[in-house]
Amino acid sequence: MNIRHSLLLSALGCALPLLAAPAVPAAPEYEFFIAANINRNYVIGSKIVTTNGVFRRDDAGAWQHVGYNDTGISAFAFDPRDRNVIYTTTINGLWRSLDGGKLWRICNDSEMTEGLDVAVDPNAPDHVYLALPDGIAFSSDRAQHLERREHGLPARGKFTRALAIDRTRAGRVLAGCEIGIYLTEDAGKNWRQVLPTKDTVADIQQSPHDPRIWFAVTQSAGAWRSADGGLTWIHVPAAPGDRPLYNVTFDVTNPNRLAIGSWGRGVWTSEDGGQTWADRNAGLPAGARVWRVGVDPAGRLFASVVEETLFQSADFGRTWRPDALAGSAVKKFLLLPKAVK
Amino acid sequence: MKTLSCLALAVVFSVPLARAQPSFKGPMPDATVIVDASLRRAAYLSRIDEALVWRAAMAKPGEPKTFGLGEIVSKLARREDAAACSERLIELMKAPTGDMFWMFPVTAIYYLGRDQLTPEAKAAVREAWRAYMPLRGDTENHWAMYYSSLYLMAQQWPDEPGERWFNGKSSRENFEESRDYLLHWMELTTTIGQGEYDCTHYIGEYAIPMLYLATWARDPAMRQRGRMMLDYIFADYAVETLNGMYVGAHARTDDTTLLEKWNGLSSFFGWLLLGNCPPTVAYGGWGIYFVAAAKNYELPEVIYRIGTDRAGTYTHYERKRTRHRWRNSDVRNAPVYKTTYITKDYAVGSDQGGLLQPIQQHSWDVTWAVPDPRGVHNTIFSNQPHFSAHELMMYFTEKPDFMPAAVTSQGKPTYIAESKLLGGSPYEQIFQRDDTVISLCHVPAGANFEQVNGFFSKDLARFEEDASGWIFTQGGNAYIAYRPLAPYEWKPLEVGGKRLRSPHGKNGTIVQAASVAEFKSWDDFKAAIRALPLEIRLEPTPRVAFTTLRGKKLVCTYGAAPVVDGTTFDYSGWKLFSGPYLNAEVGSGKLTITHGALERVLDFKTITITDRVKP
Repeated sequence: MNIRHSLLLSALGCALPLLAAPAVPAAPEYEFFIAANINRNYVIGSKIVTTNGVFRRDDAGAWQHVGYNDTGISAFAFDPRDRNVIYTTTINGLWRSLDGGKLWRICNDSEMTEGLDVAVDPNAPDHVYLALPDGIAFSSDRAQHLERREHGLPARGKFTRALAIDRTRAGRVLAGCEIGIYLTEDAGKNWRQVLPTKDTVADIQQSPHDPRIWFAVTQSAGAWRSADGGLTWIHVPAAPGDRPLYNVTFDVTNPNRLAIGSWGRGVWTSEDGGQTWADRNAGLPAGARVWRVGVDPAGRLFASVVEETLFQSADFGRTWRPDALAGSAVKKFLLLPKAVK
Repeated sequence: MKTLSCLALAVVFSVPLARAQPSFKGPMPDATVIVDASLRRAAYLSRIDEALVWRAAMAKPGEPKTFGLGEIVSKLARREDAAACSERLIELMKAPTGDMFWMFPVTAIYYLGRDQLTPEAKAAVREAWRAYMPLRGDTENHWAMYYSSLYLMAQQWPDEPGERWFNGKSSRENFEESRDYLLHWMELTTTIGQGEYDCTHYIGEYAIPMLYLATWARDPAMRQRGRMMLDYIFADYAVETLNGMYVGAHARTDDTTLLEKWNGLSSFFGWLLLGNCPPTVAYGGWGIYFVAAAKNYELPEVIYRIGTDRAGTYTHYERKRTRHRWRNSDVRNAPVYKTTYITKDYAVGSDQGGLLQPIQQHSWDVTWAVPDPRGVHNTIFSNQPHFSAHELMMYFTEKPDFMPAAVTSQGKPTYIAESKLLGGSPYEQIFQRDDTVISLCHVPAGANFEQVNGFFSKDLARFEEDASGWIFTQGGNAYIAYRPLAPYEWKPLEVGGKRLRSPHGKNGTIVQAASVAEFKSWDDFKAAIRALPLEIRLEPTPRVAFTTLRGKKLVCTYGAAPVVDGTTFDYSGWKLFSGPYLNAEVGSGKLTITHGALERVLDFKTITITDRVKP
């Protein structure tokens, strides 16, 4: 196993170095990926030709399509040992490629549908977790076989939007479900609720700078912070809480910087570790409707604005300029160490 | 966004309509019941031929855009122009689109063309099933199309490795997964009810896959299951038709069929199978893919008779289920309790209200019979206009906030409109007894629309607002009394007729229908309704005590079980089907279809069909 990669990969949407110092320009060391749908007016069965899937940002700042065109992509992950092993979640469930995207296989059968998130355990990289609208599935063999692992999840309320693997310990996973955050410490064999919510937990992220620090955002209950590895959670009152929050991200270059993407509140950022938050929608299209925010290896903030395009900011949201991918909806940002293989 | 399915025929299906469609444009079919089986079969085959001839002729020489999958399937079904079909098919396989709506037409083409298509054309199809990656979809109609197609193609190309298939699974894996899903869906449907039940359009998306299984599955048991499911679907349809029109509550319909009750794909099946109504335009669009293999199916006489030859008025009960609920629900599939009362002049149908399906639910109406249904809005109903992210989260997995607006551009334009007439509401509770419907609404303050909408057709023969508070109407040979529970105003409708808008959260509607023949005069009908005991209370919660025209004393209170003649109504014993024609117990997997002395039993546990003529 590539130890460096196993330490660096986070399944939380940004795989980051545990010991990275603040403000280190990391562009040469990382690759920046997104999963995006560019399919306005598409409905299932439509004859509209659209562009979707995983995109890698090249050194010139252009987005290069990776893999295949799937109109229903929602998330993706890579095997930390081998960039040619790609997992994507889509309406069909979970797709996997072992050869860099030439051949793909649907890993699930008809009993599982509409994969919502996928995560690979960096400390057990054959282990793959799949978030489903009715629970969680697990594979110990790179998704060749999937089984449900839901003991401890509620009979109802186990709609799972987000999965986040603790990079410090194999088998320790947090799941964002309809009625709260659930934690397993034995690779999904047993789950327990660590935060109850009345609505879906949309995203969970572990700090790249301190693995004890976690943030989560929710559909209707604002943002939450944990300082003990996800065991206990405290509401973040300064973050917007009156509208759905879709994701939260850390900045690999600065341990104090976080950003939130929201429906109705747009982009909000914090530069003091989440104590205070600022509205960073000036310069973005009206409506403050943001699918997702991400931070690239150089600390540039990206925002996917609904029905618009991807925007980027070099000053963490104070000013914005359009990026590419007009009409896109970014479903996930992912920062990865440059691949060895 | 893409999970909101695919009713959008305008998007996925486009056919030049200039050429005459004989039965669509022609006179109403002769509704005489055809007793002789051979004559009935001949008439059925003639209708098949009419549709195939029309569609095959849509392909114009030198105009490739007119030569699509529908034209190819029609020509192959007629065994004509195989060379041209092959050539065109090779072109079409270069850029497939349409997901499962591509899969089943291509499946039909391949099977119909096994002895007609060139090797190159077959190879092009084979390659498309490797290179094109269709979505499996997010609804049961998607899955029915996807898995029946995949089942048949895996059967056709056995023993091939995953590299030869778009999804990386071997022929055997695809075959077994498809088989398992289809068996699961059949069991679910025949034990606790269909999820997308009684759909005016989506009936085709189930019937076509089942016909293909019945026709081309090599496994005799799967062929038998396909035939049985066709009988099941069409019996379920026939029993709730009025001259071929699908009536009452639907899991899914659309803004057009909602008002012009005939104008749905279901009426194409009425034309084809029952012969008692015109087909819809272009033979229902997707209908051509049923027609292409339809000669391999014969509607059992007992179902034909149920649809066309009724002894008199009857009440039919059904239990269905909601589609899968992902969030905001204590159950994955909630029960749906349907009641449909049918006379020769009109039908009254309903479910129990609530959010039973997303977006396109239609909970109750009265439909009246008309000499020719084309262009006629032969219905009256009310609804509580509702839309919410809560509803969409319940049935869809995407982030909900974008969806309400997005839905309106995906074939459901009225979803967020105050004037909407389509869709269910969590704030509506409905009870039906015979031909009386009581709908009570209790819309909380702050909900999107604190109101009730009522549809009053341009085709009502009579319309009178009475000082008693009743609105008296006549449609065809049906008298219909409509009682709003709260003050209202009138709004014109672009399609004709008008909308009753009652802007009050505590609200509701009472409807009582009757046949014109039951009364000496219009005035007698009105007097009879005025004389019916009626108590209405809206505070603290809506409550109606009403003695119906049929003598039933109904007490309905919002949030409580209805009371009928002093007895609290209990839904727990509601059967999967019950009535004079269809009967099935929940969980039994056995449907008994009866008409007069004719009886057919579909037993899905033993995969047997048993016919008998009762003494």
